[in-house]
Amino acid sequence: MKSTQYTEKTLEHFRDPRNVGTLEGPNVAVGRVGNPVCGDMMDIYIEVEDDRIKDIKFQTFGCGSAVATSSMITELVMGMQLDDALKVSRGDVADALDGLPPIKMHCSNLAADALHEAIKNWREGVGPEDAKKTPGGTACHPIPAQVAEVEIQKLDEYDGKGLYRKLDDLTDIADQRVVVLDTGDDAARLAMDLTEHTGRVVLMTTGKEPSVSPAVRSALRLSDVKVLAEAQPLELLGEGELERIRVHDLNEDEEYELTADAFVVLE
Amino acid sequence: MTDARGTALQIGDPGEALRRDGIVYADYQSAKPVDPRVVAAMLPYLTEKFGNAASLHGVGDVATAALEEARGRVAAFFGADPREIVFTGGATEASNLALAGYALRNRRKGDHVIISEAEHISVLNIAKYLEKQGFRVTRAPIDLHGRVSPKKLRARITDETILVSLQWASSEIGTVQPIAEIAEMLDGTGIALHSDAVAAEGLIPIDTGAVPISLLSLSSNDVYGPRGLGALYVRKGVQVAPVLLGGGQERGLRSGSEDLASIAGFAAAADIMAAEMPAEVERIRAIRDALVERVLAEIPDAHLNGHPEQRLPNNAHFRFHGVEGEAMVLSLRDAGIAASTGSACSSKTLEPSHTLISCGLLHEEAHGSLEFTFGRWSRMEDVDTIMAALPGVISRLRALSPLYKTHAPATP
Repeated sequence: MKSTQYTEKTLEHFRDPRNVGTLEGPNVAVGRVGNPVCGDMMDIYIEVEDDRIKDIKFQTFGCGSAVATSSMITELVMGMQLDDALKVSRGDVADALDGLPPIKMHCSNLAADALHEAIKNWREGVGPEDAKKTPGGTACHPIPAQVAEVEIQKLDEYDGKGLYRKLDDLTDIADQRVVVLDTGDDAARLAMDLTEHTGRVVLMTTGKEPSVSPAVRSALRLSDVKVLAEAQPLELLGEGELERIRVHDLNEDEEYELTADAFVVLE
Repeated sequence: MTDARGTALQIGDPGEALRRDGIVYADYQSAKPVDPRVVAAMLPYLTEKFGNAASLHGVGDVATAALEEARGRVAAFFGADPREIVFTGGATEASNLALAGYALRNRRKGDHVIISEAEHISVLNIAKYLEKQGFRVTRAPIDLHGRVSPKKLRARITDETILVSLQWASSEIGTVQPIAEIAEMLDGTGIALHSDAVAAEGLIPIDTGAVPISLLSLSSNDVYGPRGLGALYVRKGVQVAPVLLGGGQERGLRSGSEDLASIAGFAAAADIMAAEMPAEVERIRAIRDALVERVLAEIPDAHLNGHPEQRLPNNAHFRFHGVEGEAMVLSLRDAGIAASTGSACSSKTLEPSHTLISCGLLHEEAHGSLEFTFGRWSRMEDVDTIMAALPGVISRLRALSPLYKTHAPATP
């Protein structure tokens, strides 16, 4: 079966999703699950009155089934008592859509998890902004890792071979994939300047956002710099020259290798 | 020609069929229609000239003559000698034969094989098989635009290296590799160079007379011939062990009775391509250029993946911030447009495209990729149809997405 062999009902919910959007107010809680790295991420907003779901909305980044399951669960639980809503499972959502392709049952069927997370946040009094900062259990099982001072291995080996402690001549890095380590406003400003010389600049930070001043932050958002958050560089790799950076994804607690030609760590 | 009831056999026209069904097909990289002129050339070998080239009787002789004549025409298209063409059951088989057959046959010279990080899955997986057989396989990195650097490739060569496999061009992002430069670099070193030329066939010239290459994987469908047929070019003097064993057809390198009708089709397709390629490529390039220009101008936060110039003339490969690829493909399908994506969600492994990751893209960016490839029946109007739908698809999915406004500025 192809991954996109969806039922008519799934396609119908994908084409015309119900209850898209956000909610605000004192009686609102949010559940966020997933991660853009996995390809699926959703926010489910509930407005609660008398322990019932008075209103429900969602926003989802993801494939057809991620959108359709989000839409379906909002229909299933609208008006429901919270205790009953907690009993709605991933399987119930899939059944309501007349089934999902087997490969999607696990990865793109997160809507029930997001709803349960929202109810949990409501009961624990977690506000919407805090809820979005600490996503619940997801497809990729994120376990937020401890952020600690980590020494980057083999940094010195690549001095002059892809590692830069300062950059005087920005044309040095024309057409290279440059990763700038977030060390504050100067690093972020350098990253933005570098976008004039190469099409690929990543600002890597261990935090959820770069540690920069508000003015630099808004300039960053308008720039072509790609921010890579919750990423801890562990080791530089390559044959003679820098080719890859081994990275610890602090959100997923997983390691991966990021291709890069230059790594800038300002002194 | 008539069928059993005496009615005339009709060979349908792909362009007419697509127009009748209201489909804009922009996924020529996945499959191409067989040119109706090719089908006409194949038919006699299914019915009247059905013989087996191995048979000793006259019916077999007709088949032998047709087989060798077709082999000569396919060889001519790639600047090869007919004896250098081995017909296979598709290009995956050709690449399997090239890597496994060459490495196993030449093991006494060394046990090291180099491939690039951007290879087609048929090369990646046969390389994994070689690792299980005790070979060492090194993967040469690609740059931001998907090109292998000859310098970085050279740095990986050891005394034990016997084979380098590097695609002619990427089937995915369309980047054309510096294959001539690398072939010159390896020429005379005793290291064989294999190239998977499938994506490049019919779009850029492939001339084994001009490029000193040892092995070349080819596909019939990629020049609008029938599917299920490929060929391996084996330069004279290059030693390859067979991977399929049987009656010893194709100089012992590929056993199994030759599929004469398909081979005749490959030859006809190569002839047509040789005659029409220069004009066809310019026509397709104009369509592709129009799409790239309009997408980048009309859709905010859209990027072109792959090389800006060194790319196949039919390939437009984009990424859109905050949108997932499968959702884009599904939405375009509803608008009658056939495209493809490198998103994990559309793959069997749930992994995003290895080529995009090797180019340095983050997973979330690879998830947002969308590929259009044009071909013989594409028309300039197709760009209008795509652009009538695509901006709306992207903005609808971005409106659904919790990522777009938080990670990127709103439309200026």
